[in-house]
This record gives sequence, C-alpha cells and structure tokens, in this order.
Amino acid sequence: MEEQAYIRRAQEGDPAAFRELFDGHRQRVYGLAYRYLRNQTDAEDVLQETFIKAYHGLARYNPEKGLNFSAWLNRICVNASIDAMRRAKARNVGPFGPEEAAAMPATSHASDPERTARNAEIREKIDQALTRLTPKQRMIFTLRHYQEFTTREIAETVASSEGSVKKHLFRAVAAMRKQLRKYVQEDGYEL
Amino acid sequence: MNCKKALELMVLDLYGENGAAEKARLEEHLRGCAACAAEKAEMRRLFSLLDEHKPEDVPAADWEKAWTGIQAGISGKPADWRLSPAPRPFFAPRWRWAFAGATLVLVLAAGIVIGRFGFGPSPRPGGSGAQATVATAAMPTVPAPNGIRPAFAAHLEDLKPILLDYAHYVPGEKTEGRVYVDETALRTLMLQNVLLKRKLAERDPAAADLLEDLDLILKEIVDRGSNSAKSPAEIRDLIEKRDVLFKMEILKKT
Repeated sequence: MEEQAYIRRAQEGDPAAFRELFDGHRQRVYGLAYRYLRNQTDAEDVLQETFIKAYHGLARYNPEKGLNFSAWLNRICVNASIDAMRRAKARNVGPFGPEEAAAMPATSHASDPERTARNAEIREKIDQALTRLTPKQRMIFTLRHYQEFTTREIAETVASSEGSVKKHLFRAVAAMRKQLRKYVQEDGYEL
Repeated sequence: MNCKKALELMVLDLYGENGAAEKARLEEHLRGCAACAAEKAEMRRLFSLLDEHKPEDVPAADWEKAWTGIQAGISGKPADWRLSPAPRPFFAPRWRWAFAGATLVLVLAAGIVIGRFGFGPSPRPGGSGAQATVATAAMPTVPAPNGIRPAFAAHLEDLKPILLDYAHYVPGEKTEGRVYVDETALRTLMLQNVLLKRKLAERDPAAADLLEDLDLILKEIVDRGSNSAKSPAEIRDLIEKRDVLFKMEILKKT
C-alpha cells in the first residue's frame, strides 16, 4: 500500500496504519535524533515525542501544502531534538556520556596504541567542538555534514530560508575550524 | 568577489552545492588570492579530519519499547485508538497494599516539597545566631532554577495512574461505575499540585496551565461524593477535552 493511503487511513483513526507509518519512518527519525544528540536514551525519547506529536497533529497534516510526510516528521524531530539538547545543557549533562564513549567504534589502528590514543583525543575534541555550537548551528551542521541533507532540504526541515541555513552553516564550520585548528594544521589530514 | 564571499562559497563547494557559475567565480578568486587558497586547503583538511573521525553507527533502538511509549503518550485519546488492552485498573484490590506504600511516600514527598519550596523559614530579623543561618541555607525559599523540575515530573508521575484510570473508564465495566481512589493520597496530591502551581506560575506558564487543569480535575475527583459531583464519565471527558495526558507526557520531559 502507498504511504499516502496509510496517512489517509491513520487520519481516519486506523491504528494499524499509524503503526505502519511508525515502522516506515522510525529508523530515519531515530537516526536523525541520534546523530544530533549522540545519546541513545535521548534519541529514543525524541523518537517517541516525534510520533506522539505527529499523531496529535495528523489531522492537520496536508501533503498538498507542499511538505511531504517524511519532511514533516523531520521537522517535528528536529524541533524535539533541539529542545532535548537545550534540556540536556540546562541539566549540565554532556551529550557524550560513558554509554556513547563505550559505543565508539574500535579503531583500525588497534596495534598502534599511540595512534589509537591520538584518535580518541581527536574524536573527543570534535565532540567538544560540536557541543559548543549553538543548538541551531549544531542541527544544521549535523544535517549537512553527517546526514548529507542539502541546504535546501535543511531549510525545508527547519522551516527556515535557505539563506539563513547557509549563514548558520558557515558559522558552524568556522567555529568547528577554530576549535579544531590545532589538529587541522597538523600533517596527515590532507585529502 | 571579496574574501568573505569566497569563504562561504568554499564551504558550499566542499559540500558539492556550488553551481558551475559559482565554481568558476571561486576558482578565479582563488587563483588571485593566496590567503583564500590557503584557507581552502585548511578547510579541506578540516573536512578530512571530520570524515576520518565520523561518529559511530547509530546503535539499534528498542522499537517495541519506543512504540509502547508512543501508545502511552496517546492513550488519552478515544478507546479505538488504544492499541493495546486497557491497563488493569490501578485501584483494583491487589494493588491496594502497593498504593498504601505509595501514599506514605507521597506524604513524605509533599513534606519535602513544602519544606524546600513552600514554607522554608525566613531568617529572623536581626538574628545573628548560627542556627538561623544554617536553616536558611538548608531550606531556600527560592529554589534553584532547575530544582523544582524533578518535583514537577515526579508529581505528574504520581497523578498519571489516577488519570489513566479515569481516561479508560467505561460505564458498567467491572468497577460498576466506581473508580476507587484513596482519599488521603488524593488530598496530598492536591496540596502538592497547589504548591507546584504557585512555584511554577511565573517561571513556566505552560506547566502552570497544566497544573491548573489538574487542579480542576482533582477537585472534581475529590468532590465525587457530593450531589453536584461529576460522574466518572464526565471526569474522563474533561481529561480528554483538555488533552491532559498528552500535555503531561510532553511537559514531564521539558
């Protein structure tokens, strides 16, 4: 069955259709939240919040207004993720807890302890640099750099103009560069 | 083209978002500007560094747990949207002992809320004794900015089972038109609600609005023995109409 049919049925109150929509979009929504928050628990919370809000807003969703269902969910997820990040910052909880540190991939230089330690240090610095971005800069940078959204898609997702997205992206890249200058200026990272 | 514009185009170029015209303009600028050419080389190294240390793959989520949470979040809606069987009535006999324990905890919690946020002793005017200073420090009259949020979230958790019982109320089903609620616990929750509402009135209007709705519902429940009392079905409708369960889920997390 086509997604539009599931949406229509869900709008009419069919719970099985809403579950189909959840199954079809959960991985992308969760992935988006996780890439931004880098915390599994928070990302799962955002996943739930996104679908609860989607459920309550479903009656008002109209694909003819130009926003497809996927982009509409992304928009809800992005707002929920930014709120979650603000709450985490207010709680003074870093987004990269031990749970996430443990989930870091095994380095490909396991036989070279010095390089392994160096990689861990760089990853930590990248995480810190991301944390220092404003919530909006961080979201736009994450969507562009890690999720590979185009600036036009980001503008649609965050309900902003393309010009504004680019401005935030430039500032985010400049801030990342400033934070990571020491590592960028070292040899070994030229393409 | 000035160097500021060139820097912006560099970022878009590295993301492959420049059209042919912008690419050509950028290349032309870079040919004549050594500083920008160096900037671009450094930016390429930054992207290379970021790509080499990309975050790990997204860990697997517990989809069924997430779905259960979603169902709970939307459970204030009509029964045909309830995707799992209605929960066992919270105040069924087998739960009464557990509820008695919970009541005790609630009374203690209310005491803490009152002590911490409501009626902390003020320092005595002119008092210079160590005792007054210690008491003020231990029980601030103004809570820390985030200090009240855990109490608010815990309060919503305490109320949820009662509200769910009413939200799922079906006339004539098992309970024969009655929902059992412990009177003492109810009054404790009402008191807690009033205190939290007062404390959150200025700081968090959305939370205060929710507490206002809860206040109204709790009063109706407390009033259930009187002649003018609302029926459980009317209380259920009130909970639904004000979308209280959904608001609780959202505000609990904010």
